[in-house]
Amino acid sequence: MTILAHRDYRQVETHEAEVAVIGTGAGGAVVGTELAEAGRDVLFVEEGGYHPTSSFNPYLTESLPRLFRDAGGTIIMGRPPIPYAEGRCVGGGTVVNGGMTWRPPEQVLMQWARLTGQPDLGPKAMEPVFDRVEQRIHAKPQHPSSIGEDSRLLERGARRLGWRYEPNRRAQDRCVGSNQCLTGCPTGAKQSTLVSYLPRALSRGARCLTEVRANRLWIENGRCVGVLGSGINPRTREEDVEVRVRAKAVVVACGAIQTPFLLLRHRLGRPSRQLGKNFLCHPNTKVLAIYPHDIYAWQGVSQGGQIREFRDEGILMAENAVPPGTAAAQIPFLGDEALELMKRYNAMAMTGVLVEDSHAGSVSRCLGAPLAKYSITPYDHERFLRGVRYLATLHFEMGAEKVILPFSNFHVANDVDDLAEIERTQRSRSTIELFTVHMMGTCRMGSDPRDSVVNMSGELWDLPGCYVADASLFPTAVGVNPQVTIMAMATLVAQRLRLPN
Amino acid sequence: MEVGARMRRILLTLADSIIPESPRTPDTLEEVTRHALVSLRYMPRSSARMFLWGMRLLNWAPLWRLRGLRPLTALPAAVARRHLVALTQSRWLPIRLLMYGPVGLFMSSYFDQDFAHREIKYAPVPFVADRIELRRRWIEGHEPGSDDEVHHPAALAP
Ligand SMILES: Cc1cc2nc3c(=O)[nH]c(=O)nc-3n(C[C@H](O)[C@H](O)[C@H](O)COP(=O)(O)OP(=O)(O)OC[C@H]3O[C@@H](n4cnc5c(N)ncnc54)[C@H](O)[C@@H]3O)c2cc1C
Ligand code: SF4
Repeated sequence: MTILAHRDYRQVETHEAEVAVIGTGAGGAVVGTELAEAGRDVLFVEEGGYHPTSSFNPYLTESLPRLFRDAGGTIIMGRPPIPYAEGRCVGGGTVVNGGMTWRPPEQVLMQWARLTGQPDLGPKAMEPVFDRVEQRIHAKPQHPSSIGEDSRLLERGARRLGWRYEPNRRAQDRCVGSNQCLTGCPTGAKQSTLVSYLPRALSRGARCLTEVRANRLWIENGRCVGVLGSGINPRTREEDVEVRVRAKAVVVACGAIQTPFLLLRHRLGRPSRQLGKNFLCHPNTKVLAIYPHDIYAWQGVSQGGQIREFRDEGILMAENAVPPGTAAAQIPFLGDEALELMKRYNAMAMTGVLVEDSHAGSVSRCLGAPLAKYSITPYDHERFLRGVRYLATLHFEMGAEKVILPFSNFHVANDVDDLAEIERTQRSRSTIELFTVHMMGTCRMGSDPRDSVVNMSGELWDLPGCYVADASLFPTAVGVNPQVTIMAMATLVAQRLRLPN
Repeated sequence: MEVGARMRRILLTLADSIIPESPRTPDTLEEVTRHALVSLRYMPRSSARMFLWGMRLLNWAPLWRLRGLRPLTALPAAVARRHLVALTQSRWLPIRLLMYGPVGLFMSSYFDQDFAHREIKYAPVPFVADRIELRRRWIEGHEPGSDDEVHHPAALAP
């Protein structure tokens, strides 16, 4: 295995490869592995560090800085502002994600085929690609031993109300429900790219430069011929070593915010002016229910299934137990009042509502950092309020004592009648508290340079030799957890990537 | 991230007003403040600077809320806390936004400490160890049985 870190870089160094892949998350790891397995000499460039399974532990203070961008403290500006989290480590978002694997609904793929005029993005043509990805990440239902009481409670509540509840398929091999997905799976069960794709690539001779931030593309005669970056000193966090990679092709897979951020530096995407546009983020909001008895939601997989009754309206609901540090940051109290509530942590059912994007925001560059902008529409707002009411109703139906609501001006519902207040108090989009981890769509794929950023091979229309293979490729929102769709699109890019002679 | 003595005091004051008053150990405040500074090191410099400016602004909340002339650092903790609680409930989104960062950082750090885990009866380490062992047995060929399921029968009592 060739995994290099900051200590391995000399002052100025040029590495050579056939294909350089920036990012090792859901998109980067997959495209690089497929290419390595096809006999290409692949070099990954990853900003985060390499943290193996044995290093994972449940402490947020250790895990957040090591595994998340900006220690998890990033925000999308808009109405309302939306904090977001993305992985920054070898394996990217797949190391810290929940492992849920949902294919996009058929209508979405049909729409993609129609929009791009390419039937090979349609559901039939994509089926073998999804099959391949799912086989490689072991996407399958959970074993009963991994299911926690919060999942059972939600499932029972949904059935009682006559709603469709579907168990999750997850990227896991013998998951035992330790509920540590957010801080890195300590059992090795979650099939993040760290343990699924990347070992395959490395066994085929691929190399990985970790702790290297790609700052620019290396462009010669109008063609992308490499990456210019710098090594990040893990102790001081300073970028203090120059690292260059020369390659016949470069694949940018930094995620839907960092990819356009990097490409915009070169004023690319000019034919359509769509680079950084079409930013989608599938926001969610939290509904915390306090039950009169302990549930121990932190035992058992963080999400056993989803309530999909309202999927056609773009509303998903699910449980998602988070560690106390994360829960405490989301509750509307400080000091001892917060502690009083947190003493009921074992009795909390932590659930959430996800709403499919109905419009898009944008990503641009501002003061050397990415600026993501996105506001929910009145239609999204209405669906959030409806989703919160549905979930709170379910909790009261199941005997919850009270429900903590995600509104800055209406915190607690003590019974189902209180929910009528939602209508009255929630007139403004600014009072709802949202969060997201599903950013997508800033370099949309298409077959017409006038309305897309990359062609159907993932190559930029205005920079030959530079490809994109991550969540930014999505032409429209998927409305479900995106990782398998990203992996499928990255597989396509690998199959279509052509090197110059 | 290196900060001067004045900024340290601001961070300590904010931490003191945001986290629970007890339980704490003698170095809890230092610890959550240190963690905040570590987190800032992982951010782009411009974001970290903006965060620190936000903290300065918060420190002068009594002034711009027209509730006093002294900064939070000069007020008793209980009074400072009342100011911050009011800010988290402000009608104005930018003011609430100002509170996101410190609340997120200090609360997540406080509730990450072992003594806080004990207080809320959260014990992930033995549970995870148990589960790692369960998976090891599974890999050896012993598929988990009903005894290995996560069950707390009272949870589904109603
Ligand atoms: C907490 C959390 C839970 C989630 N749960 C689920 C789930 O259950 N199911 C699901 O389908 N999806 C889930 N997601 C979303 C999913 O993980 C992401 O959509 C997916 O990982 C995105 O893939 P990507 O390749 O676009 O980017 P990432 O996976 O984010 O990978 C990008 C990589 O590029 C690196 N990088 C960025 N910029 C640079 C640079 N300039 N130089 C070098 N390297 C760089 C980053 O460090 C990172 O490793 C979750 C995400 C999070 C954060
Ligand atoms: S629940 Fe635990 S064992 Fe299962 S994938 Fe998540 S971290 Fe791994």
